[in-house]
Amino acid sequence: MAKKIIMPKQGLQMTEGTIISWLVKEGEKVEKGQPLFEMETDKLTITMDSAESGTLLKIVRGEGETVPITETIAIVGEPGEDISALLSEASGKPAAEAPAETTAPEPAAPEAAPAAQAQEAAPADGRVFISPRAKMRAEELGIDYKTIRGTGADGLIVERDILAAKPAITPLAKKVAELSGVDVSAVTGTGAHGKIVRDDVLAAARKAPAADRDTTLVPLKGMRKVIAERMVESLHTAAQTSHRISVDMTEAVKVRDAFKKADKKLSYNDIVSYAVVRALKDFPIMNSELTDEGIVVKHYVNLGIAVAVENGLIVPVVRDADLMSLEELSAAVKELAEKAKNGTLGPDEYKGGTFTISNLGMFGLDSFVAIINRPESGILAVGRIAKTPVVNDNDEIVVRPMMELTLTYDHRVVDGAPAAQFLARVKAYLEQPYLLL
Amino acid sequence: MSKISKEKQLWIYRVMNEIRYFEEKAYELFAANKLRGSVHLYTGEEAIAAAVISQLTDEDYITSTHRGHGHGIAKSGDLKAAMAELMGKDTGFCRGRGGSMHIADLKKGHLGANAIVGGGLPIAVGGALAQSYLGTDRVTVAFFGDGASNQGTFHESINLASVWKLPAIFICENNAFAITVPVTQSTSVKDVSVRAAGYDIPGVTVDGNDVYAVYEAAEKAIERARKGLGPSLIEAKTCRWRGHWTGDPEVYRTREEVAAWMEKCPIKRMRAKMLEDKVATEAELDAIEQKAKADVEEATDFALNSPEPDPATVMDHVYYEG
Amino acid sequence: MAIKTYAQAIRDVLAEEMRRDDKILIMGEDIAEQGGIFGCTRGLYDEFGPKRVRNTPISESAFVGAGVGAATAGLRPVVELMYMDFTYVAMDQILNQAAKIRYMFGGKARVPLVVRGQQGIGRGNAGQHSQSVESLFMHIPGLKVACPATPADAAGLLRTAIRDDNPVMFFEHKALYATKGEVPDDPDFAIPFGKARIVREGTDATIVTNLLYVSRVMDAVKELEAEGISCEVIDPRTLVPLDIDTVVESVKKTGRLITVHEAHVTMGFGTEVVAAVTNKAFRYLDAPPERLGAKMCTLPFNLGLENAVVPSKEEIKAAVKRTLHL
Repeated sequence: MAKKIIMPKQGLQMTEGTIISWLVKEGEKVEKGQPLFEMETDKLTITMDSAESGTLLKIVRGEGETVPITETIAIVGEPGEDISALLSEASGKPAAEAPAETTAPEPAAPEAAPAAQAQEAAPADGRVFISPRAKMRAEELGIDYKTIRGTGADGLIVERDILAAKPAITPLAKKVAELSGVDVSAVTGTGAHGKIVRDDVLAAARKAPAADRDTTLVPLKGMRKVIAERMVESLHTAAQTSHRISVDMTEAVKVRDAFKKADKKLSYNDIVSYAVVRALKDFPIMNSELTDEGIVVKHYVNLGIAVAVENGLIVPVVRDADLMSLEELSAAVKELAEKAKNGTLGPDEYKGGTFTISNLGMFGLDSFVAIINRPESGILAVGRIAKTPVVNDNDEIVVRPMMELTLTYDHRVVDGAPAAQFLARVKAYLEQPYLLL
Repeated sequence: MSKISKEKQLWIYRVMNEIRYFEEKAYELFAANKLRGSVHLYTGEEAIAAAVISQLTDEDYITSTHRGHGHGIAKSGDLKAAMAELMGKDTGFCRGRGGSMHIADLKKGHLGANAIVGGGLPIAVGGALAQSYLGTDRVTVAFFGDGASNQGTFHESINLASVWKLPAIFICENNAFAITVPVTQSTSVKDVSVRAAGYDIPGVTVDGNDVYAVYEAAEKAIERARKGLGPSLIEAKTCRWRGHWTGDPEVYRTREEVAAWMEKCPIKRMRAKMLEDKVATEAELDAIEQKAKADVEEATDFALNSPEPDPATVMDHVYYEG
Repeated sequence: MAIKTYAQAIRDVLAEEMRRDDKILIMGEDIAEQGGIFGCTRGLYDEFGPKRVRNTPISESAFVGAGVGAATAGLRPVVELMYMDFTYVAMDQILNQAAKIRYMFGGKARVPLVVRGQQGIGRGNAGQHSQSVESLFMHIPGLKVACPATPADAAGLLRTAIRDDNPVMFFEHKALYATKGEVPDDPDFAIPFGKARIVREGTDATIVTNLLYVSRVMDAVKELEAEGISCEVIDPRTLVPLDIDTVVESVKKTGRLITVHEAHVTMGFGTEVVAAVTNKAFRYLDAPPERLGAKMCTLPFNLGLENAVVPSKEEIKAAVKRTLHL
């Protein structure tokens, strides 16, 4: 019994993946669990194992193709099996429906079969004669043969007529073409059997007239593309605004030094993270998610730590950070950061975060405003620690190691006062670490 | 006083009775709609099959005809398999696939009955060819009727057997009718045996209802064949008491004609001779008759209670697959 | 490997098999001292003598029937018919006896008989001596039917036929006897029945053909090649058993089927191939399958007329093109 191999959903917000390479050739045998193909998602490149055992009968989507999740990308079965039913299903499948919380740049357009290009008129009496083989090809390619003129005897539609027909176009590509005024007849399709996909239309749209200046085109794909989409989506969805507060890190410095003397390496970020986790337990509203049902307040903390990686950023998540000691948290963060830099994070390690911390202090920023990492309700941006003159209780000017924290929060979920309280608590934990005991 | 041993005479007598009762039982069963197709009864011709085959071993071959129950019973000795085959049962000679006209029992040297008139003669030549080729002193007897003596295969087969000096004995059971056509209308000679001259082989006509006459003629022919001197043709004149096929209205002869032949019943005649020569007593002969009758009954019960062949096996045996 | 003519290949197999198994004898008209009218038994009389190499009278029924009887009785006769047109003379012994004995006797008999001989056009032998009769024997259960087109196929198939315990009708072609080809030296070289030969691979159309027409089809195929049409040519080699799977796989690839044979077109074996393939590969067909065979006309004596009856190169090319809607 032949089975479909689908583009699997690998991230909570994954809507599509790009096939990087096929590791098994058509016609070769493959075992369940054996590496079958490599793909790139919004977060990273992963090797996917085969979900089925058998022979790789057909590769439906090729290397370089971007495929919506759950669409068929290959068929595994026994040699000689009739897979025409699965193939026609594969070509006619609608775009994957986007899950509620993800960005949905693809309009959910469940048109059953992609429309073919209109060709010359069908025969007058309405009955269409087509050879069995041509019909098979039409099904494979998702072409509506009823409007194709046949060149066989007595107007029989034959295989070559189907192969010569204008290639199919996805409903999304069609819509994008309409919106951006692209003439699809001039577009070359890069999908299966020359099908025109959205990217083809976008590529055509982007072909600007000759530039006056030298430019380099960086294609928007993979991680970059997803970040672009996510950021816009986040800003459009949440009512984001921010609070800023200055924190005297004198005590935190002492904590760090003490650990250093005991041969335990600790970063300021670890201390900040620990303080944040504790503050989240105090103000769980900051650790929540707005869904259709309401505000889901989470009583566990999966802390995301933003990590810059080549060509993008990724947020590894420390699961159950609230159950960790400072040292454990430090070790966990270190390990995850390592993996993030090497591109070896597993799906569990970047999914399911409840609050994110982003630190750009190492670049010399005093402060900055981060964009919330959906579907969370808050993100804390950490600036550098700088020796700063401040006025103490005795009205004296003293030099203190000061750090700016900026909390961006979703005002739909949390109002200014509670957000301020949360931020003040973080400051308190940092300035008076013994409160963490 | 016949030179035939008592043992052999009793064998012949037994076999004739088995044939007689078998054929009568077949008639009865057919009339009771228990047999499919048709049966061509040998009743009245028993002497020929019995007398000839009594002189053959299991390694000697025979080919037979559509009217072959007698030859089949004499050569194989298996009444049960014969009756079961008539009923198309799985326990028949041919597992129900041949029926009345295609009885065969290869392990007993019965190369098969043929429903094509004259179809068995070339095959008999082949049997004789194999026996000669393998350097044995075995013989093949081809039984056929007056009708077959006019078939091309008659001519070709006897000619070929003669030219190659094969150990074949051609036995023409001339019962004077080929279905409804009498020999006087179809056959250019009164005695089929004269045709032997055309092939330079001995030919003789005997009273087919006289066991001893048939025996003697066959004995000579068999001996000649075993010696490698070639084939012979024996014509045994006889009468089939029943129609060509069961249900034949027999418009081509009168009851009186048949009655006259029935007077010359081969079994009755042999019985009389054996009593006369004191080869056996009435009681012995009665016992043989009774046993034959009982054996036929037993065979009938066996056949009636035998299973039909399974339709799922219908395609078995089209080819030998090793 | 050795280069042999088709006739030599046949003769050598007969000799090798007769040496190997003394139950094998051959009989037919003029096959002994003469070595057969077509030379297929040359030298065998000298080697094996009159007991095993027998001239027969002109009595096809008798000697084919004798073959049947001898086979049933345990020998392995190979009967030569001078022309396979003469199977008609011995039809009862072939179709009613040889084909049926095993089955009618409930599987208790075997008939390891080979009836072999040549057939076909090529010598101006007129209507009764130029026929291609192999298709008839596909129709009667119990027989096997082989048709070699090359010396190697003749050798390999004949060996299988002789060693098979079933009656085999073995059709040679008069115009192929002098053709040469490589034949393996292996004394056990045998080609199994039911295995077609792909004579030439191609992508655009599948042509199924046999015997003399294999080479005639190849002539047409070469010309089509020059026009950019790539044909796959398949020789089934045996009609019973028939390797229809190879043809089906080919048609799945090409989408087009043409059968070409010398036998008459109506009910020639092409008819069976077309029906079977249409049934098994319907949705792969891009055009109705084409059948070419001799027209329904007795083969004429005059060469021009004969050529007008049997499929011509132009007709073959036209048929291929029709399937391509050209």
